[in-house]
Amino acid sequence: MISCTEFIPAYSELFSTLDRLGGRQAVRGFWDYLSAAFLTNLHDLVAEHGLRGCWLYWSHTLNEEAADFTMELDEEAGFFRITMHHCPSKGRLLSARHFAAYPDYCGHCDVLYRNILEPMGYEYETDLSRCDRAACSVTVRRRGAPTRRA
Amino acid sequence: MAREIMERRAADNPYLHKDFHSALNHGMIYLHRHYGEAAVRAWLREFALKWYAPLRQRLAAGDLGPLRAHFETIYRVEEAALRIEQTPDELLVHVDACPAVAHMRSRGEEVSPLFVETTRTVNEALCEGTPFAADLLAYDPQTGSSVQRFRRRSP
Repeated sequence: MISCTEFIPAYSELFSTLDRLGGRQAVRGFWDYLSAAFLTNLHDLVAEHGLRGCWLYWSHTLNEEAADFTMELDEEAGFFRITMHHCPSKGRLLSARHFAAYPDYCGHCDVLYRNILEPMGYEYETDLSRCDRAACSVTVRRRGAPTRRA
Repeated sequence: MAREIMERRAADNPYLHKDFHSALNHGMIYLHRHYGEAAVRAWLREFALKWYAPLRQRLAAGDLGPLRAHFETIYRVEEAALRIEQTPDELLVHVDACPAVAHMRSRGEEVSPLFVETTRTVNEALCEGTPFAADLLAYDPQTGSSVQRFRRRSP
């Protein structure tokens, strides 16, 4: 068994394997598949609760992943944001000096959730510019909601 | 409605997200479907060779102790029982129910027919370049229960 605590390097190596077999397109194909097959719970929560569905989904996953984050929800303003101060997954990969992670490991977060949220009427924006420090942010806005800063 | 904020530090929660088992299973299903069985085994072998390189290095020194500690750690974290018998030349690992398979079955998920390779292929890769060999003596795909043996190769 591969423990769920060792999933992240296995996941990263899967991206590397797909890239070797079929290039970037193969990796993207898997991300599209995983989004549709695995993130049905995010879809269902957002369908039932709107933006609060994002809050409910990530409250579960980020706590179980022991992430270091700030999460904000303003339903009236149509705004949800995660500020990831330290992503446990990327952090684990960065700290394992003996293991070469897939260079675009963080790209999956952009594709997987965007695939779900955009067709449901939300704008999905990620800032991956600090991935090399295991930090990033995700903002979800109800389409047509005013752009705002916290 | 008021704005809500949740702040968490890493130390606030244990790191245990069992849905990762399902994501790994999906990776296996996808790779199998698009690139075949050999690709699944190659992926798991590469992962094990690279990720467990420090453990393999210690195993190469001829000591089964670090391997035993590895199994005890991952099953403790997953809150699953296992029984280990050890001699200087052999480690027998008895798993009554695989926590990964149990998690997926509890959610009614399809488990890849190749899920056994997360044990067989990974264990074989762990032993590459070491004095040991891995044998999967028993495996039940329904529960993931298994008997795994690591034995010193004959000279």
